[in-house]
Formats: sequence, structure tokens, C-alpha cells
Amino acid sequence: MNTTESEDGSVGPLREALTVCAAAGMTGVLRVTGDPGGAIHIADGLVAAIETPGAPGPEVLLLRSHRVSESGWDEAFAAAAASGGRMSTELTRREMIGAGELEWLLRTALADGMFVLASGTVDEYRAEPGPVDFVLPLQPGAEPDSLLAETSRRIRVLAAQPGRSGRDRIVAATGAVQPGMRLGEGQDEILALADGRRAARDLAFALGRGVYATMLQVARMKQAGLLVSVSARAADAAAAQVRRPAAGGDLPMISALPRRQRDAPGGPRRQWVPGRAPEIRTPLGLLRPRAARDAGSGETS
Amino acid sequence: MAVDGVRSAALVDIATGMVVRSDGEEGTDFLTAAAALADETRVARAALGPGRPGGDLEEISVITAGRVHLSRILGPRLGEGLLLFVDVDRTRVNIALASLQVGQLAPAVLA
Repeated sequence: MNTTESEDGSVGPLREALTVCAAAGMTGVLRVTGDPGGAIHIADGLVAAIETPGAPGPEVLLLRSHRVSESGWDEAFAAAAASGGRMSTELTRREMIGAGELEWLLRTALADGMFVLASGTVDEYRAEPGPVDFVLPLQPGAEPDSLLAETSRRIRVLAAQPGRSGRDRIVAATGAVQPGMRLGEGQDEILALADGRRAARDLAFALGRGVYATMLQVARMKQAGLLVSVSARAADAAAAQVRRPAAGGDLPMISALPRRQRDAPGGPRRQWVPGRAPEIRTPLGLLRPRAARDAGSGETS
Repeated sequence: MAVDGVRSAALVDIATGMVVRSDGEEGTDFLTAAAALADETRVARAALGPGRPGGDLEEISVITAGRVHLSRILGPRLGEGLLLFVDVDRTRVNIALASLQVGQLAPAVLA
């Protein structure tokens, strides 16, 4: 097993694997086994999509954030599947999201997926050539060097943050929110869900935000005294306290019940019909893609 | 980009400090600088005070002897929003006009 993360931002075996795939101009999937592991979809050597149980993908980001409605998504999906067209085209044609905004979301989702993979462990990886089979790929994809440089930056930033773990469960600090206090940047939504049972990663899935962005926000809120980490035992006590009848009833402790991983990825998945790889144009056309100047820049090993 | 004197431009995701797109003459340390821009936006928003009586933050201008940095905040429909950052040569620009031009270009970025 290889731990991919180091505090100086080294991304270890992922760099090696992606470099090989990019050099070969591969189209297919790079399967990463480990914790959390996942699949990196590659088109012509560029990263088109990343699937991992450790980070929300584009669909979750759009739906859980309510940027796109469930019914609207289903209709667009059905239309794209029926016509053999592209999901991205359907979403933008129906004016559910701008093409530029969708590209922004896909690029940040890619970076988040890569960050999560690099922050975990890699047991092994395997390249499987074939068509790109993903509902919302970025096309053309992102340069691996650019993604890895961003991943290294994120790891270094978090390494400098106290209480940075994405797996520590958090709870709202007692009395932290005063009447009339304004909480911006989605802090109120995080506080509402910080019940001692969720970690930053769980909040990211629940709210449709990136894992890295949520970890940063949680770290800031901890520093501001709005959130505190709880141990597993304290989390149980907190959850039981919330649900215990005020008059001291004789209901069993809720914390003794089996736990379900709330808001974890999973459940029935829509099957994307392989065909032409969906693509989006480059609506952020005011700016050209990051140039090859990034090719030589990398993380400090 | 149709703004006189532009040296470089970038789109920065405010929630993460990630450079989504960039173009121009910026150096290799721009990844770090972009993250600082995101922090700057966060601080500026906080400085507007509770309730933001004057409205939400729209633009940050940083002016030095040789440069003008214009950071236009695009709608926070996703996360904390997107920053359109433009680095302009001060000797070649009318600051007010540049701000107007950047503001006019901004909606097209997300369309």
C-alpha cells in the first residue's frame, strides 16, 4: 500500500500513472484501488472525469446544491439518452446551467476528485483502454500536470491548517451563534447539519460542495469557534442528548442502534449509454486553457 | 480580452482558490497568488459588515504604481462564486474604463 499524500504536497504514484497515460495519449480508465480509490477517466491523455466514493461528482454537486432540479436533470438525462446526444448539451440547451458555469463545475469536480484520491492510499492501479463512459466528462479534459499541481497545492494548504481532517466528526459549538449574527458562504448550512455525526466529507456530499472546499470552510469555522470536533464517544452522547425525551423517558439510547453512513455515495445509479463521449465546448473562451507552461511545474517531492 | 493594457487574466474559484482558467504573463507562482485572491475576496466580504447594507461585493481594485488588479466577482450560484481577475498595466489604462469593460465582459464568462 502506498500513502499518496505527504504534507509537502507530493502525490506519489498517481503522478507516475497519469504521466504514463498522458504520454501514451491513452483513452480509457485508470482504475485506482485503495482508500477511497476510484476511476480516472482519460481521453487522449487528458483527464475527463474522476469517480470516487470519497468525493461528490458533478451530478451530486448540481443536484444537492439545488443548482439543477432533480426533475430537470431526469428530463435532460432521458432526452440525451433517447437521442444519443450529450448530457452537457441538454443541460445548456434547456438553459438549466450556462456552458461556462458547467465547465467551472466540471473542472473543480475533477480537482476535488484528484485531491481525494491523492489524500488517500493507493494499493494498485490499472489502465484499461476503452471509450470514455461517464455522463458529464470535461472535454477536452484537463492536463494531468495542471491537476496534480493543484492537488499538491491543496495538500500543502491543508497541512498548514489546524484541525484539517476530513473524517473528524464535528458539532456546532454551544452558544457560538449569537442572535443577529450573519453567517456567509454557506456557514449556516454547515452549522445546521453539524450534529456530531457528520464529518466534513459527509457535509460535502449532503450540501453538494467539494470536499476540499468544505474541509477549508470547516477549518475556518473551527478557528472562529463555531464548530468543534467530537470523539466517537462524545458524538454518540451528543446525538443521544438531542433525541432523548426532555422528561427522562425510557426510550432506548438512539446511539446504540446500528449506524448508516449518512449521505454516503451509493444507491442506484443511472446507466449512461456509451456512444459518443459527451463534450462541452469551451465557453470560458475569454481565456485559453492553461498552457504547456505547467508541464514542467510539479509538486515538491 | 477586450481590455486595454491587459497583462494576464484568470478565473479563480473562490471556495478553493483554484485557477479554473488563465491566460497571459503570470509567473509560475500564480497558483499561490490566486489562492490569496480568494482569501482577499473573503476578507473584503467580511469587511462589508453584517447585513451588507451597501449590497454584495462586486469588484475589488488593487492599485500599485505600475499595475491595476481588477477582481470581478461572478454570481455565487455554485459554492462561493467565481473571480474574474485581470492584471492591467497602469500606464496603459484608464482605471474606470477598464473596470467598466471587465464588468461588461463578466456575464459572458458563465453563459
